[in-house]
Amino acid sequence: MRDVAFVVPVYNEAEVIGSVIRGVLETCPHVVCVNDGSSDDSADRILEAGGYLVNHPINMGQGAALQTGIEFARLLPGVTRFVTFDADGQHRVEDAVRMLRVLDSTDVDIVLGSRFLGEAIGASRAKRMLLKAAVRFSNLTSGIRLTDAHNGLRVFNRHVADTLRITAPDMTHASEIIELIAHNKYRFVEVAVTIDYSDYSVAKGQPAVNAVNIAVDTLLRKVSR
Amino acid sequence: MILIQVILILAFAAIFLVALRSRSAHSVNAWKKIAFAVLMVVLVIAVLAPSMVGVVAQAIGVGRGTDLVLYLVSVTFAFYVVNQYLHAQEARNQLHQLARRIAIIEAQERYGMERLTVLASTRTTPAPGTTAEQPETLPPHA
Repeated sequence: MRDVAFVVPVYNEAEVIGSVIRGVLETCPHVVCVNDGSSDDSADRILEAGGYLVNHPINMGQGAALQTGIEFARLLPGVTRFVTFDADGQHRVEDAVRMLRVLDSTDVDIVLGSRFLGEAIGASRAKRMLLKAAVRFSNLTSGIRLTDAHNGLRVFNRHVADTLRITAPDMTHASEIIELIAHNKYRFVEVAVTIDYSDYSVAKGQPAVNAVNIAVDTLLRKVSR
Repeated sequence: MILIQVILILAFAAIFLVALRSRSAHSVNAWKKIAFAVLMVVLVIAVLAPSMVGVVAQAIGVGRGTDLVLYLVSVTFAFYVVNQYLHAQEARNQLHQLARRIAIIEAQERYGMERLTVLASTRTTPAPGTTAEQPETLPPHA
């Protein structure tokens, strides 16, 4: 799959990023890792494992890292399909492959992973409830109906990669991408994916209270647009 | 003139001079400059003739002059905060775009576009370490 680029935002993931990259390289030679100013040796692990290293000189947030990774991936010759993938090992490559097949066999521009169509292994009841509430909020504010609003696994074509402009630097980017899907009129579909909530990914994930920040930022964007 | 009046007027004058002399003054909106000058004049008048503030306050239905001043300061401060927030966001966006350009240019240099084509066709298995840090083999900049 030389026409596919995986885009992986990396912030202090030295422990797991190597195995995540190697896992992807088994099916896809292009793994673009944006090291977002990590203070550990994530950058060395990325080079060792054979991913493309794109180094943010300062920490700018996951949304900014995704945008950088997509812009770099666009420059790779022959790349026409893009996958956004988390660095902490919670996504499965076979899910991404399945989503790529959906992208090819239908006329959608972007395929979104959903853990509520699939399984969320190891998620606590509270986490599930919070995520469902986030979905309801997203459906209300974005004008698009989804079953999962904050899933980092996405597959999209060149058109989306060329026109997507993520400006929200932090975790709010997930909501912003959904708004951009509505605004830019991308054709989309959701596909069931499995999320592995390991102890590591739960510890690295964002605290639940961050939902407040995301909600406020989303409303602010609605007002200022 | 009471001592406090002298101190306050000197302070306003100093702020006004600093604002005028600042290098970036030309980039500030002309209306903001006019508003700032008017504010300075009003402040000096208020310091010299405090009773006038009371008269104005009565005229617009606020009890005391100090209350009127407090309200005005609150509104001005709120404007200031929002203004600064928007400026900070704009500056952050510019910083991010600059940093993104640097990151991409550096990565392009590390891999080189012509070298990349070769890499892409040979990299069926990961080639640890071989992808980077060989500047002498990089193609010249396009």
